[in-house]
Amino acid sequence: MITVTINGKKITLEKQVTVLEAARSAGIKIPTLCHHETLEAFGGCRLCLVEIEKIPKLQTSCTIYITDGMVVHSETERVVNARKAMLEFLLINHPLDCPYCDKAGECDLQDLAAKYGPTTGRFAEGKRTHPESYDDPVIVRNMERCISCTRCVRMCDKVQGASAISMVNRTSKTFVEPFSGKRYDCEYCGNCLSVCPVGAIMSRMYKHKYRPWYIDKNINTICSYCGVGCSVTAQVKGDSLVRVVPEMGKGLNKGLLCVRGRFGYDYVNSSARLKTPLIRRNGELQQVTWSEAFKYAADRLRDIKERYGSEAIAGIAGGRCANEDIYIFQKFIRGVLGSNNIDSIANFSYAPAQRFFERIFGQGVTANSIQGISNSDGIFVVGGDPTSINPILGLQIRAAYQQGIPVITVGDTPGLKRFATCMLKPNPFTETALLVSLLSELKVKKQFLGGNSSFERLINNISALSMKEVEDICGLPTDNIASAVNMLSNMTNPSIVIGKDILQRTDGHINLLLLSAIMYLINGRVYLLSEFPNEQGLVDMGCLPDMLPGGRPIEIESFKKRYEEIVGLNISSTHGLSLSGIIENAYTGKIKAIQIIGENVLSNIPDSNYVGKAFSNLELLIVQDSLMTETAGLAHVVLPSLSWLERKGSYTNLERRMQFMGKAVEGDGLEDWRIISEISKMLSFDMGYKGLEDILSEIARVSPLHKDITYNDISGDECIWPYKGEPLRHGVSLEGMDVPDIGSLLKKPAKDRVYAVFDKELFHPDSLSRKSAAISSISPEPCSRVNRALADRLSVSEGDYLNISTDAGSIEMAVKIDEDIPENVVMIPNNFEGKGIFNIMQWKLNPVLKCPVLDGNEVKLKKAEARS
Amino acid sequence: MNKTDGLIRDIRAIKEKYQSKRAALLPALYLAQREFGWLSPEALEFVAEALDVPKASIKGTATFYAMFKNKPVGRHLIQLCTNVACMIMGAERLVDLLRDKYGIEPNGTSADGRFSLVIMECIGACDTAPAMLINEDFYDNLNKENIIDILENYK
Ligand code: SF4
Ligand code: SF4
Ligand code: SF4
Ligand code: FES
Repeated sequence: MITVTINGKKITLEKQVTVLEAARSAGIKIPTLCHHETLEAFGGCRLCLVEIEKIPKLQTSCTIYITDGMVVHSETERVVNARKAMLEFLLINHPLDCPYCDKAGECDLQDLAAKYGPTTGRFAEGKRTHPESYDDPVIVRNMERCISCTRCVRMCDKVQGASAISMVNRTSKTFVEPFSGKRYDCEYCGNCLSVCPVGAIMSRMYKHKYRPWYIDKNINTICSYCGVGCSVTAQVKGDSLVRVVPEMGKGLNKGLLCVRGRFGYDYVNSSARLKTPLIRRNGELQQVTWSEAFKYAADRLRDIKERYGSEAIAGIAGGRCANEDIYIFQKFIRGVLGSNNIDSIANFSYAPAQRFFERIFGQGVTANSIQGISNSDGIFVVGGDPTSINPILGLQIRAAYQQGIPVITVGDTPGLKRFATCMLKPNPFTETALLVSLLSELKVKKQFLGGNSSFERLINNISALSMKEVEDICGLPTDNIASAVNMLSNMTNPSIVIGKDILQRTDGHINLLLLSAIMYLINGRVYLLSEFPNEQGLVDMGCLPDMLPGGRPIEIESFKKRYEEIVGLNISSTHGLSLSGIIENAYTGKIKAIQIIGENVLSNIPDSNYVGKAFSNLELLIVQDSLMTETAGLAHVVLPSLSWLERKGSYTNLERRMQFMGKAVEGDGLEDWRIISEISKMLSFDMGYKGLEDILSEIARVSPLHKDITYNDISGDECIWPYKGEPLRHGVSLEGMDVPDIGSLLKKPAKDRVYAVFDKELFHPDSLSRKSAAISSISPEPCSRVNRALADRLSVSEGDYLNISTDAGSIEMAVKIDEDIPENVVMIPNNFEGKGIFNIMQWKLNPVLKCPVLDGNEVKLKKAEARS
Repeated sequence: MNKTDGLIRDIRAIKEKYQSKRAALLPALYLAQREFGWLSPEALEFVAEALDVPKASIKGTATFYAMFKNKPVGRHLIQLCTNVACMIMGAERLVDLLRDKYGIEPNGTSADGRFSLVIMECIGACDTAPAMLINEDFYDNLNKENIIDILENYK
């Protein structure tokens, strides 16, 4: 116990904290500028000076720690004068352009000057000048206003880990700049502007459109881009959206955001927004009224059901729809239309991986807290770059590394380049051999902890591969593997972060088995990277061909019965078609009608030509979406749904945390669940919901996992697994998991061929971000990446265009040189219409996981003709 | 290419001597400055690569210290003191001389790229003022005559 006296008040604390923290804990206010809760102390602005008895000079309370018996005064005349002097110094150069500055009203310097500052300054010379920089599309820098507190630089260096800006020059000429001195060349997280106490780094998105006192409403919601589920606040003036901002310290992201959450929200006002229902007549989509559209959709569905039977109908749900929408959707497809052909993109990687791990370790094994990553004693990353797929989760890994926690990565993880203790980059598509060898070595070094003897037997039967053999196959030096093994074997509670690249492989199921074995041996907890904000919701709400809400297998009679009783509809117990099956059967003509909610299938799954043909074979394609997409462009009926920010609902993130999305503004369209219930009504089943509460209470009855759940729970901070519900006890079994034949894995990719690999990039993870003007201005055009040797062979240099072709088609794309890519690989993103890897990528299905196999996609490359 | 090969080797050798990469930054910047003539963006990127330190951080350091050249300079850098002692002893007349004879303005470079002139604040030679540095060489007790002789040694 440490007792200090501050301003006569005795404060007793357990931990040795700074004087500032001690004071704040007792409600004593000490002004600060350079201090920030998320950053390490700096002690630069000297605004927090206090007088401490027995220390002659004034001390910065943000850097000095309390000791027992310390007596502190924060409001003596001496302190007050010093504070005033500090502010006077700062205002020598700080322009007094508050009426014109966007920060006014929420500026720390303005507040402090008003409260403590001198009314006049004695410095009569001119102020320094520095032109405002508009070099950047989304960030504006006004360095006349910079007070050199270094908060932005510390944020970028230590928290974001991008180290993209620094303080340049010195004395009164100091200011903040990216290396180029002009445009940023960084991750555009905008966390630097969040912490700037003055108006020196600002967002251009709302420049001169905003004053804090304009704001009528602050609505809490969840970012709609990825499976992390960061908290953001939408600020509204009258009935229009002013901006979306994070709140420091709030949510699982603690106020940090990535570029998508920070700047990508403007898609809500995109010109591609759908405003009225459309029906295809004479080959063209024409505007109709809602009632016409409902009637048309219902009639056509009824007709197809009567003529071809329920099996000819399928539903595809999107990962940005709310739980309430997708619950209603599966109920409609299953119960009203009578088809279990319902699936989503979650079944292309996230769901099969989760199902695989759950079969060994039980339901809920992936429900781990993202914040927990930096508390583990080691991190193993396989199959994707967390810093681009789930950026805020990626920051946890960077933070862990900076605390000295070992980080091992397998594959292409450019965002962890400076944050990995050991980077293993096996030859393309040879990860399986590497995992076998890691496992073989770990089996020697580690004891089983016990608990799952059948799995232990299975692990023991997996034959070994020596590091020497692996060196040959994977092209990795033995030392490199050995050091990874050493690190792994020293870990006792590591985090294992898994991306989809590792399972979308011919041997994807074997990779998962090997990872499970490694996880078992080193007591790891698993995190599945998730690309959509409600990918987990798709699983939990039963948007799967074989699962009912709560992850209950449809073939188990008791679950089916409970569902039928509560929902009041009979369903079939046979498994429906999965997403790939739905597309295939549409192609062959067995599926006649597909209803899609919130998913741009045509762009977001591989081989767009095939998908396009499949869709054009349909007699009926109904698309509910808030934006006009390639998929909606093929539809017979387009029904505008309300967008994020325009409706309430809930999301379930990759930790399986349920979070509430608030409604900030009105929009054109209806909630997906409302659209579906209207169609249902026309098909003589009135769902009868008055609002979301009715839906959630039904979910709470249908899904044992969500038993008794209410919006009160979901709006709270900790609506985490297993809520108040019952996890599934069935289904833990190793049936069908065979000991892999290691001999068959000893293949090397041909050196003389070039393979296409899907580049999952930060700015445009899927087809949504291209509808954001802000993100498109940051990253306006797709870029492929190859290494120097391959570029030389093709005689292309940076900025040239590559022609990339396969049997499925060809695309042209600008090229960037990246030394970290193997010579026989070209990395291709999938983010612009008609210009993505999925336009030219064919695939087959992994027989066990039923997810696409994307390895071994050979491409032909040549320099594209000069562009105009 | 070849000149920078040697530089990479030297920088890496310095890096080995320190526990942290950033500790090697100042000596590495000196080497790069010697090789590139000044710390151009290219030179900074080179050091960033060789030390594996983010280039923005390197720019911060390089622009902080006065001994680093952040813009192109002549082949020889004259750093002349005009602080009190040197001023009294006639340093300002030397500045005029340099302007008249070689066409160099303070903080400027002669048209032929031979000399750049920087005005310094005290180089610790008040007892033998006026004083100057040319590159890393020190000269004191300067006057209008001997300064010309000295400069003629730098072509
Ligand atoms: S936007 Fe993010 S990455 Fe870019 S400079 Fe700011 S903090 Fe650094
Ligand atoms: S730009 Fe803002 S945060 Fe950065 S040093 Fe200047 S005042 Fe501080
Ligand atoms: S990490 Fe994901 S949820 Fe968070 S801001 Fe970025 S895209 Fe949004
Ligand atoms: S807040 Fe303590 S010195 Fe700036």
